Amino acid sequence: MRLEHTREAAQSTTGAPARPVIGPPADWNFPSARSFALANGMQAVVHDVPGQYVISVRASIPLPLRSEPERIEGVAALMCRLLDEGTAAHPGQSFAQQMEQTGMAMGAAMTEAGLGIDMDVPARRLGDALALMMEAVTQPDLAADDVARLVRTRLAEIEQERASAPHRAAREFAATFYDASERISRPSGGTHESVAAITREDVLDFHRRHMAPAGAAVVVAGDLTGIDIDALLAEHVGAWENPDAAPRDVITAPPQTAADRTRIVFVDRPGSVQSEFIVGCLGPDRQVEEAWAPFPVLAYLVGGSPTARIDAVLREERGYTYGIRSTFRPRVRGGQFLTHGSVRADATAESVRELLDILEGGLDGFSEAERGAGVDYLAKTAPGRYDTAGAIADEAAGLALEGLSSTFTSDNLRRIRALGVADLDAAWRAWIAPGEWTVVIVGDAADHADAVRALGRGDVTVVPN
Amino acid sequence: MPLDYAIHERTLTNGLRVVIQPDHRVPTVTVNIWVNVGSRHESPGRTGFAHLFEHLMFQGSANVASGEHFSALMAEGGRLNATTWFDRTNYFETVPTGALELALWLEADRHGHLLEAVNQANLDNQRDVVKEEKRQRYDNVPYGHALSDVYATIFPAGHPYHHPTIGSMEDLDAALLLDVHTFYKQYYGPNNSVLTLVGDVTPEDGFALVKKHFGHLPRSATDQRPRLPQLPPLSHPVRLERVEDVPNDRLYLAFRLPAEGGSEYLATSIALDVLGGLTTSRLETRLVRGDEMANSVHTAAMGLIDGVSLGLVIVDIADGQDVAQVENAVVEELERLGAEGVTEAEMQAVLAQSERGWLTALAANDDRADIISHFATLHHDAQYINTFLDRLGEITATRVGEVARTWLRGHQRAVVTYRARPATADRAGEPAEGALAAAGVAGDGVADVATDTVEGR
Repeated sequence: MRLEHTREAAQSTTGAPARPVIGPPADWNFPSARSFALANGMQAVVHDVPGQYVISVRASIPLPLRSEPERIEGVAALMCRLLDEGTAAHPGQSFAQQMEQTGMAMGAAMTEAGLGIDMDVPARRLGDALALMMEAVTQPDLAADDVARLVRTRLAEIEQERASAPHRAAREFAATFYDASERISRPSGGTHESVAAITREDVLDFHRRHMAPAGAAVVVAGDLTGIDIDALLAEHVGAWENPDAAPRDVITAPPQTAADRTRIVFVDRPGSVQSEFIVGCLGPDRQVEEAWAPFPVLAYLVGGSPTARIDAVLREERGYTYGIRSTFRPRVRGGQFLTHGSVRADATAESVRELLDILEGGLDGFSEAERGAGVDYLAKTAPGRYDTAGAIADEAAGLALEGLSSTFTSDNLRRIRALGVADLDAAWRAWIAPGEWTVVIVGDAADHADAVRALGRGDVTVVPN
Repeated sequence: MPLDYAIHERTLTNGLRVVIQPDHRVPTVTVNIWVNVGSRHESPGRTGFAHLFEHLMFQGSANVASGEHFSALMAEGGRLNATTWFDRTNYFETVPTGALELALWLEADRHGHLLEAVNQANLDNQRDVVKEEKRQRYDNVPYGHALSDVYATIFPAGHPYHHPTIGSMEDLDAALLLDVHTFYKQYYGPNNSVLTLVGDVTPEDGFALVKKHFGHLPRSATDQRPRLPQLPPLSHPVRLERVEDVPNDRLYLAFRLPAEGGSEYLATSIALDVLGGLTTSRLETRLVRGDEMANSVHTAAMGLIDGVSLGLVIVDIADGQDVAQVENAVVEELERLGAEGVTEAEMQAVLAQSERGWLTALAANDDRADIISHFATLHHDAQYINTFLDRLGEITATRVGEVARTWLRGHQRAVVTYRARPATADRAGEPAEGALAAAGVAGDGVADVATDTVEGR
């Protein structure tokens, strides 16, 4: 990292003690769980975390987003929102009343890999809350007026997202990067046309065919003192069956990318005072668990802090941005390396040039000082990143959905600590190549597209907002 | 439900209040410092300065190079930041136990010896960064200036909360190095700060380490003015209308509430939850589910200390619905709340949801430290986290009805309306304005949208 060295003289700080010596970090591993199978085949993962009084429950159902019929894309996300809008036993708003009196909060959401349900509740109400959660999962009303209302809400949200530069950039990036035949080239919540086409029958049918325990996992984390969690899970979760379910689609190959993905797309928003951008290329997934370790470190060194390579120039030297972040984003199969942020409008072209130069400059290698700083940051922040029941449950549910081993988090930390500069350099060179970028910019095209074109870093297409 | 987090307090001879809450679940310690200065202290022509100043706290101090506060702590596994708000500025890091002393040393250097390192180049650079923060979070986002409009509409000119913490571009441009020196000498110092440690540290070790690194600092902050007296509610509606490039019409109704710190404020927050903070709340039931005039409804009580808090009702108007009709419906529900009070079932729902919310807010060491610092700094009550739920539980339905009648009447509203510019109108010229910044971006679909209004680092 580009540190200046500490000034040696301390003449003005009379009475101040000398700079302290750092003590070694304590040994730490991701908390180990008790894992067992429920009667319906679901995997249960239980983390007893003393002192965490809100219990976090996460259910992961490996229902790929691409299971949606293309005509009604968005139906899965809509179904997620409808789950707590009333059930057979508690119709309409009486279900929400039950949830509120129980002190629980519940949500459901889709990712490319599957459907996730989050539920949090104070420990003493866990049984009631699990009963309500499963009632919502298995017997939702999916009433016609609720479907119509939430379709309307979703259509309004699509317009809100179009008006937001980061959302607009993400949507354009997915459409540019992936082949049009891939589900993930399109918005996960559906388009205006596909959402508007969704009927109650569509949602009922999707729920009947896809909401099922096959391959699913349930994670419970929190202070379970005095709670017979095995009995609660057996009663409320293990009894769930769905004989009507369709066979699961299983993702076994990376999504196909667009043949012309290496280019620059400028989404025109006249009058923008900043330009929002996403720069990306292919990246790794985590199927070879041992190979993942260098990537979080690399993302941190390039775009993970104000002193990382990008912000050291674009923020701390030039003042063009509030901050730019990089991430290696693993998918079920295949992955992406993404860098995103926003810059002052009149610095658009210069920022894109600097950014691509910095990213490609990684091919010249990383220093031993960078390696040390990045490895230490990732390895030593782990205990604090997993200090709540919610964070532990989120991590465990994510591992289950991605099919990773339960010891992945701790094993990966051990591998991070062992990384050398050569490992980082090789990992960067395995995925980063000069000129192989997809760039999306959301900003004022009339003012800045020509300057970006003049960089000679790729063909520039201007599209309307 | 009583909570029993063990909380230890001590005050150093230089006035620094130290609070320690041991929690040995994981081998980390959170250091959280609240300085009792925020945008409410800014002088005319210098709006946004408290926040700009906060950025400069990362650009080096007597024994620490520019950027080193970040890099030195992150290399030891620290996660850190700082934020500025109307009432305060906070600085915080969570570090492995072995790096606690380094964190304290770095904090003491900048909280005691900043001015040796401040220079024009740093000020100019961070001024640019803050201007990009303003553009990213406010100027380039739909509805981005709505809350600033609310503050300016409901609070009188010259009031500390009349302007937003982010300030104006003109005032940021006007900030001088001399202002940095003056501000630091006036507000920064152990006697205007609270330092909280939460995590893997004993009270004995924690107090000794804080004394070692902060004990030599002089009592340097000057005395503050007393807090302003309570602002009365508005006597009649005031309004501001904007026509902008926004996706749909949006209505903001704002109310002056009692200053934070007593049961009257808490009772108004319960009233706002009953009105719009639950899935089963009255406005949700009527406007979103019943009449389908709104896409969504939000209410919030924003606790503040300088003589007034802020109550908000925000309604996203459904396509084709009449804004005035929606506003009338909200006013009707406000009047009904005052006239009829709230039911026991509504009270139970609010309390059950508040319990989960409070326990969740206390779950992480860093969040718990921040809440402890909040109430220790602004209300001299370091034990507040243990008593909040009991205080809330003591408020009766009758009391909620009373405060609704006093503070949440229809005629006491300030109204800010954002109307969508018709699609056929000339769209050139004025930039789109917006609300709240996007924190992250996903490769497809939906990005995370931050909804806080605190200025970050």
